[in-house]
Amino acid sequence: MSRRFVINLVQGETYLQKLNGTTKLGLFLIVMVYTMMSFDLRLLLPLFILSWIGLASLKPNYKLILGLFGFIFFMNFVNIILYYAVNQDVGSSYLNGTRTVLIQFNSYWYLTIETLWYLSVRQFKMMTSFMISMVFILSITPGELASGMSGLKIPYKISTITSLAFRYIPEIFNDYETIKMSMQARGLELDKRRLNVFKRLKENLMILIPLIFTSFDRIGNIANALDLRGFGQGKSRTYYCEDPVTSRDKLFRGITILLIIFCISFMVYQNVNHFGMWFPFKI
Amino acid sequence: MKTPLIVFDNFTFKYDAQVEPTLHDINLTLYEGEKVLILGQSGSGKSTMVHCLNGLIPYSFKGKIQGSLTIAGVDTLHTSIFQLSKIVGTVLQDSDAQFVALSVEDDVAFALENKSMPKKDMIPLVHYALNKVGMIDFLKQVPFELSGGQKQKVAVAGILHEDVKILLFDEPLASLDPVSNLRTVEMMDEMAQDGKTVIVVEHRFEDILHRKVDRVIVLEEGRIVFDGDVNRLLQEDILRKNGLREPLYVQALRMAKIDLKGLSLNQVQDVDFAHFKKQLSFLNDKHPLPPQKERLPLVEVKDVSFAYDPKKLVLKNISFKLYKGERLALVGQNGAGKSTLAKLLVGVIRPLSGSIEINGEDIKIYSIAEIANRIGYVMQNPNTMIVKHMIKEEVSLALTLRKYSADAIDKAVTEALTITGLESMSHWPINALSYGQKKRLTVASILALKPEVLILDEPTAGQDYRHYTEIMDFLNEINVSAGISFIFITHDIHLAIEYTDRALVFSDGSLIKDARIFDALSDQSILERASLTQTSLYTLAQKCGFEPERVIENFILHKGLYE
Repeated sequence: MSRRFVINLVQGETYLQKLNGTTKLGLFLIVMVYTMMSFDLRLLLPLFILSWIGLASLKPNYKLILGLFGFIFFMNFVNIILYYAVNQDVGSSYLNGTRTVLIQFNSYWYLTIETLWYLSVRQFKMMTSFMISMVFILSITPGELASGMSGLKIPYKISTITSLAFRYIPEIFNDYETIKMSMQARGLELDKRRLNVFKRLKENLMILIPLIFTSFDRIGNIANALDLRGFGQGKSRTYYCEDPVTSRDKLFRGITILLIIFCISFMVYQNVNHFGMWFPFKI
Repeated sequence: MKTPLIVFDNFTFKYDAQVEPTLHDINLTLYEGEKVLILGQSGSGKSTMVHCLNGLIPYSFKGKIQGSLTIAGVDTLHTSIFQLSKIVGTVLQDSDAQFVALSVEDDVAFALENKSMPKKDMIPLVHYALNKVGMIDFLKQVPFELSGGQKQKVAVAGILHEDVKILLFDEPLASLDPVSNLRTVEMMDEMAQDGKTVIVVEHRFEDILHRKVDRVIVLEEGRIVFDGDVNRLLQEDILRKNGLREPLYVQALRMAKIDLKGLSLNQVQDVDFAHFKKQLSFLNDKHPLPPQKERLPLVEVKDVSFAYDPKKLVLKNISFKLYKGERLALVGQNGAGKSTLAKLLVGVIRPLSGSIEINGEDIKIYSIAEIANRIGYVMQNPNTMIVKHMIKEEVSLALTLRKYSADAIDKAVTEALTITGLESMSHWPINALSYGQKKRLTVASILALKPEVLILDEPTAGQDYRHYTEIMDFLNEINVSAGISFIFITHDIHLAIEYTDRALVFSDGSLIKDARIFDALSDQSILERASLTQTSLYTLAQKCGFEPERVIENFILHKGLYE
């Protein structure tokens, strides 16, 4: 059953997986800031390459990853086409106003080098953040995420809720399947060949009622289980799944600090100098 | 010598939402190291007593307390649930709710994490606890891969931290197969041997008696009506007086009109049945096989196999017939293929190979809803079936969805409500019903379609004996009056013995026995493969040198007369 998920519920044996939860979460957050802060291909390209190396080190199920990669690529590509359709000069507004027509399709439609560059970098940036997220998701377990969050001084009740969600969402999904089965047997038509989307949504509501009630029962039981096992007694709690901080964690934490310093200086510099994005084809 | 550990002193508790107290004037002292069983019907106050012991009362359930409850010298009114959880460990009935973490070792460490124990101190404790319950090889397993019995062991390991004195089990046997039940009873016994005080609330008295119990408390309407040892409990006929199930061997002795005074009845092994061989000889009577009536096959399953993953067959070449009016039991471990078969029968999934026929027609051409007109499915928990607010709406739902005319709906609904004895409540809101009535309602809502077969998944799980008898007798009536065939998916051997004609035993996706339940139960190799256990009648038969299958048969025959 666990193999159906992309996420790992139990820690694996590879280099990145062995890192401490706080290290992973901290690094992930700063790398996301790094990706967000600029449209500079010189910054994004090394990260993209590194993320593939990171992914390879996790020995993932490539079929699944490439499928997801294709899907995300497609969704962002549609997004980019829309950007282009709305404003064919979108690139110029980011690239200090220059405008070099590359192809003139007809009297109305054209493509400028600036727009092509801007949109390509945009797509690349999205794919980089997708890759980073993938590496992060594959290298961490929900338990480690919870311990990582508490390591970053986030209240542990919040982090426990995230790991409880991972625990019980599959159970609720099973309940849904069972209820669906009994409702279908009573004559509820859910066949997509017979009904349109809205009708089906309406019919699905019928399943939701018992699902909500059984889930409430479940939540009540879980809440009692948490109380009975002393959850919430102290200001903090420890984590069994937390790995000890090793020299490799120190290395990665060092990198994280350097990245924080770099990102802050970059953003300050960018705001003071108001420079646009890096564009190698400036005429 | 004996140290009092739990002291109820004139203890009365009333929930804020209720008018009458649920526990009345309880005076009870439990001693260190005792193994105590609490019996009582639903609503007798057992769960409330458990909640008082583990601190959920007054922490989570608000109400008014009079008198006092002292545990290990601490008044529970003046302590926190956290302090109490260090002394009292609770194993909840719902082992899924108790398994809050995502791996076995994390879950066992959960209480220790909450105490902010450093990781290096937790590791040996977690390993010790998992060793104790025999789950050390499952350290890194996720809950989705574990069986109910395994989850329960993890739950026990999770409360075995260093200074816990009292282990509280709330209906630990409700959802396990018979062999897992025995293992649980043995595990509870080992904990008691280790010096823990073990308190068990459970309906399945006969299973609990697999190991010795020091003391039994019987609750009735919030009062203690019995407090003593098993022997006295059975001799004084307390169980029957309070609507609870007696162990089968005791019932057999009573049928034979044997005076129980002075006998040692603690466990079936203790009873000297051979001494009463003469009185018990009616259990060995030979009956001619009933004349084979002309039986009409209703459902025919022909060489059906099924797999979700093409490499792994979940059901392998299953063939059997269900005759008109027959009551069939599907038994076997969780994951043996029973529910998969039920899903195939109602058409939610379709066979990989082979066919399923109703009255000679292959069901593959029919939709799920069409099959439902002939084979109905009643789920274990009524709350997972009920979608409407009013009884009438709920029963008519299947017909409304099929766009029947108002007249036809009215007629069918009235009929279904009459059969199920709910006609006087037809305009009631559903939330006014008890659990047993809800069960009837779900049966009525399926009966409205006039199916020929009803599949029932664990129809009596978690019910006390009175409700169990009520539900099963009610189903029996429908079987006789409406001629409907039944398929029961169950772990409960008693149910299979008393209320079914034939058993299909499943193991690992194969149908390993298709026979009368008496015959299936006397085949040791089948029992082992299917994780079933013998009832105490088997021991009785052995001690007297009787034929076990004949004893079971005669027992059922005489049971009707005796009651």
